[in-house]
Amino acid sequence: MTPLSALENIHKKGLFGEHESKEQKDLIKISEIKNLLIVQVVQYKKSNVSLKDIKIDGLNLSSEALKVTSNKDTRILWTGPNNWLLVSEKKEILKNIKNDFKDSDFAVTDLSHSRAIIQLEGKNSIEVLKKGCPFNFNEIEKNVCINSVFNGITITIDMIEDNSIKIRLFALRSFGESLYHSVTDACLEFGYKNI
Amino acid sequence: MLHIKCPHCGLRSQNEFSYGGDGTVKRPELNKEVPDKEWDTFVYLRKSPRGKHIELWHHISGCRQWIKVERDTATHEIFKTSKANEDI
Repeated sequence: MTPLSALENIHKKGLFGEHESKEQKDLIKISEIKNLLIVQVVQYKKSNVSLKDIKIDGLNLSSEALKVTSNKDTRILWTGPNNWLLVSEKKEILKNIKNDFKDSDFAVTDLSHSRAIIQLEGKNSIEVLKKGCPFNFNEIEKNVCINSVFNGITITIDMIEDNSIKIRLFALRSFGESLYHSVTDACLEFGYKNI
Repeated sequence: MLHIKCPHCGLRSQNEFSYGGDGTVKRPELNKEVPDKEWDTFVYLRKSPRGKHIELWHHISGCRQWIKVERDTATHEIFKTSKANEDI
């Protein structure tokens, strides 16, 4: 059985908004990211385990606020004190995660099917986010993640690239379609390409 | 709109927070007989000061931590913020 992604029924490929008279490279590219492993890791307050001793796919959990540690396949997002969101293309590392994070010290929850992920690419992506999110985007840079709201929907923003801007938005799966409509509405004036 | 400095995440918009009431209220001690009047005071009675007020706020759309905020209820100026388990 093929799993259905959160935006399966609404994300259609093509050009939309005011794309005419604009070059393709100037359009915002929107894609749905699917088939990722998403795991929430929470360290209990009473836990004394040192985070330096634990590595997942070669990455440490950073206790620095808003920091993302990453490699080619895996990104570990700081989402709060003692709280991380691990996002990876390598689904097989779930087994390692469950082995490395002991039940007595960590709560590990597989959220792979409970998030919708929208990826925005292009120089105007930040302008789109500014329309619905109160965060000061002048402060955001590569490998920074923030939890915030977009038109009232709680989201996690992961800045993957800050030169050729590439941003991932995570929302609860049930808010995925609503967020998608909000984001695509905000993209209309710039023109966007769904890929 | 208020801008609140979360001690974990930095300066954020009020939209990301939820107000949590007076930050100075102390719960009566656990496992101890509490007179009705003391319980009634703890549950219902709150001051409504004009001026500096220590409040609890929940960064509900951010790091999901409770924080303390010292705010002027007349001007909305925020003087200090701290983690919930710290004295402000």
